[in-house]
Amino acid sequence: MFAWIRTLASRTHALLSPRQVDQDFEHELETHLDLLTNENIRRGMAPEEARRNARIRLGGNTQLRETNRELRGLPLIETFLQDARFALRMLRKNPGFTAVAVLTLALGIGANTAIFSVVYAVLLKPLPYAQPDQLFNVFQAQPQEGVAVDGWSYQNFAVLRDQNHVFSELAGNQHHQLALTGRGEPTVVNTSVVTPELFSVFGEKPLAGRVFHSDDGKPGAPPVVILSENLWRGVLGADPNIIGSSIDLDKRSFTVVGIMPAGFRFPLLTETEQLWIPLVQDPLFGSWMPRRGGHWLTVTGRLKPGVSRQQAQTELDAISARLAKEFPAENNGWTIRMNPLQQDIVGDARSPLLVLLAAVGLVLLIACANIANLLLTRATSRAREIAVRATLGAGRARIVRQLLSESAVLGLLGGVAGIALAYWGVRGLSFLLPPSLPRINVIRVDNFVLGFALLLSAIASCAFGLAPALFAANANLQSSLREGGGRSGESRNSRHARSFLAAGEIALAMVLLVAAGLLLRSFSNLMSVSPGFDVQHIVKADISLPQFEYSKPQQWIAFSDEFLTSLQSQPGMQDSAIAVPRPIADGCANIGFEIVGSPPPSAGVSRTADFVSVSPNYFHVMKIPLLSGRLFDHRDILSSPRVTVISKEMARLYFPNQDPLGKQLFFGFAYDAGVAHEIVGIVGDVRDESLGKNPGPMMYVPYDQAPLWGANVVVKSTMNASNVAAAIRGQVQKIDKDLPVTDVAKMPDILDASLDQPRFRTLLLGLFAAMALVLAATGIFGVISYSVSRRTNEIGIRVALGASRKTILGIILRETLLLTTAGLAVGLPCALAASHLLGHLLFNVSSNDPATLAAVAFCLLGVAGMAGYIPARRAMRVDPMVALRYE
Amino acid sequence: MAGEKSEILQGTLDLMVMKTLASMGPLHGYGIARRIEQISEEALQINQGTIYASLVRLMQKGWISGAWGISDNNRKAKFYSITKTGRKQLSAEARNWERISGVIGRVLRIAERG
Repeated sequence: MFAWIRTLASRTHALLSPRQVDQDFEHELETHLDLLTNENIRRGMAPEEARRNARIRLGGNTQLRETNRELRGLPLIETFLQDARFALRMLRKNPGFTAVAVLTLALGIGANTAIFSVVYAVLLKPLPYAQPDQLFNVFQAQPQEGVAVDGWSYQNFAVLRDQNHVFSELAGNQHHQLALTGRGEPTVVNTSVVTPELFSVFGEKPLAGRVFHSDDGKPGAPPVVILSENLWRGVLGADPNIIGSSIDLDKRSFTVVGIMPAGFRFPLLTETEQLWIPLVQDPLFGSWMPRRGGHWLTVTGRLKPGVSRQQAQTELDAISARLAKEFPAENNGWTIRMNPLQQDIVGDARSPLLVLLAAVGLVLLIACANIANLLLTRATSRAREIAVRATLGAGRARIVRQLLSESAVLGLLGGVAGIALAYWGVRGLSFLLPPSLPRINVIRVDNFVLGFALLLSAIASCAFGLAPALFAANANLQSSLREGGGRSGESRNSRHARSFLAAGEIALAMVLLVAAGLLLRSFSNLMSVSPGFDVQHIVKADISLPQFEYSKPQQWIAFSDEFLTSLQSQPGMQDSAIAVPRPIADGCANIGFEIVGSPPPSAGVSRTADFVSVSPNYFHVMKIPLLSGRLFDHRDILSSPRVTVISKEMARLYFPNQDPLGKQLFFGFAYDAGVAHEIVGIVGDVRDESLGKNPGPMMYVPYDQAPLWGANVVVKSTMNASNVAAAIRGQVQKIDKDLPVTDVAKMPDILDASLDQPRFRTLLLGLFAAMALVLAATGIFGVISYSVSRRTNEIGIRVALGASRKTILGIILRETLLLTTAGLAVGLPCALAASHLLGHLLFNVSSNDPATLAAVAFCLLGVAGMAGYIPARRAMRVDPMVALRYE
Repeated sequence: MAGEKSEILQGTLDLMVMKTLASMGPLHGYGIARRIEQISEEALQINQGTIYASLVRLMQKGWISGAWGISDNNRKAKFYSITKTGRKQLSAEARNWERISGVIGRVLRIAERG
């Protein structure tokens, strides 16, 4: 080890002060020569002869020095530095070439690095917990019913936790929002409702105080809470005496026992301000703990070291069999599955990001092809220089090495510029990235990403440097030397390589353009799709009722009635309604139902529909049309017979060829279960889950018959949103001054935000396709203008023999179109294959949409034609006299 | 310089240089070359330049060290001497050499008989 270091040190010394070392060696050799000569003279040789003999016995002077240098220094690095210096000189001498090549490369590497930084942060970077690969989500699934992922009831979770031997810790969690009062303005805080094991699953230590222990999770334990560092510093003003003091959540006092460091976020990964309470203390979920039915608890566990996923699954299968045997009513048909936590967090963000990464990779490939083409052109004009080098004794490997060093220097310059671009690009991306993207907060250009960029530029320099280097080294020495000046002949292979590269660029550009075109069409379809309701001038706001104080449905109804009446009496606020959940804004609540008098569905088929509880004028406010029957009115209250209004899709799906009006449905929540609801009306379909999903079956119920502990309000008003918010706040606080009003937003903005992800990918892919188009056009331009300059002579002769300008233009354009068509022919099947992979990201457009394909082909032909026209015009202007004299 | 000349096996020159320095004390390149030739009774005639490659290698390994001095003919010359680790290395390599040459000798004798 030490010897190795010493060798390196001495070699580096020689590298750093080569003159000194050379001089020393020179001295040594001279002394040696003198001594040997003297000896020879002593033996009786004539001085001349003695010296000659001494030289012979010592060996060739130059050769000795070379060997010595090679031994002492770092020859590879030395030659590389020499080559690099030379390369820099060459690049400085051709500023135009250098600028184009470095810029092209910087764009390619910059874009790749920026996208990779997102991919790395979202998909690859290990989760910020100890041994993250041991963390798994464990869930229940009902494969026959098509339920792939579902949660647990607390009772089932307790069985899993207590009976398994493969997880070192298992914890359940849920989350919602609770009102924090008694500390300034009432606010709503994101609350994680967890079993006490959560913190030991992650092996996380508190910043202050303690984490939960198992006693905190037992019924009857005093209510405790753990705060996130940011919540403590923000809303609670970094109160130093917070541990042991109490805060009010939904009007109930909780003792603060700990603060978690800002870096710890779970299960709410994007919220910096949050708090944790034990499941048993939660006003909603706590009351569900004794039930075995239901699937509402998300379970995360840490595998014991050395336990394989296979072993764990075997144990989970055994437990699910036991559950099904002991509690068949709740567990028949259910299995237990597990997924790596990271995979679950990434979710469906994965495939769009990979698509973008692939797209930006193609852009770099095109950029490399472009630079390779430039280098080939240059290598051809440098054929003489290389031939001279070869004649002077440079080996083929040495020449390839020199040319590769030049590519490496170019690659390095491009890489550095690209990294600078990437920093800027990541900043730009942070404005574009949809906030719903998981782990968005960790996106940055870090060392790993920098390493990727450098590796990329190394690979790129090899990619664009190798072919020209090999061609150049292969060149025929004699013909290169014999040819005059800079216009030496180009080998047929090299010409073919250049055409091949240009056609390849067209093919790659086609793939990108088709992908971008399809995304663009599908995005414009998304933008123009009717959601089934009218969002103009609609503002939404949330009011949540503290569940300890407002615990009975009657209280919820009383609150909402009083609130709506007083709100509607305000000027400009007549069109107000309550709906839970609201389409797009709140997502959807899909529940099962049965049709009275109709046989139960066959096994494996379940009847479900999206459930919405609305106040009577909701349909009017949202402009959802009534198709037949009636809407809700003031008669539909808790004490009157249950009614429901269904959507057109529900009528079509479950009542084909019959009139659903008057039919009865069984569905509802706990206090309402098993009560028949009569269908009194049919309304238009609504896209409630997302704009990209076709409307599913929906059933509406009157809010007064199915109230909830909050009021999700929609107001249609021409006043601006802040005035609407102020009006809502005023009316709420008239009823209860401790009720927070949150999440005020305009509905059009919410619809818009729901398209963030498709907009993001469409925009980026469009950008990459545009880059590809420009690069491919420059590629074509380069090849054609080089071909024109090479054929100046031929064109001159043709003109002299009477060819018209039109003929010349035709010749050049034909060459252009031939290249482009070849590219398109190769690109078409590639584009079809690529867009097939894109299928699941498309909306209302087929992946082999002929219009898009045709438009892209025409666009490429047009752009290539223009790129070829510029050199073609130069060819038309060729003066035969000049062209011939030039020879 | 007629007579039988032998090629020097790769690596054996390093060993000879070290042995020479160990028994003769500090020497310059020429001195080492002469000494090896004398000891081998001129049977081994080395291309004296190759001594220098050997010296660089040995220096880099830290087995010998060099210092500038004045030679017999009053010229600046670098004098090499063996280091402590060099001596250790020498005895190890010498043992190794003896073993190998013993083996080779035996193999050759067997071959002659057979």
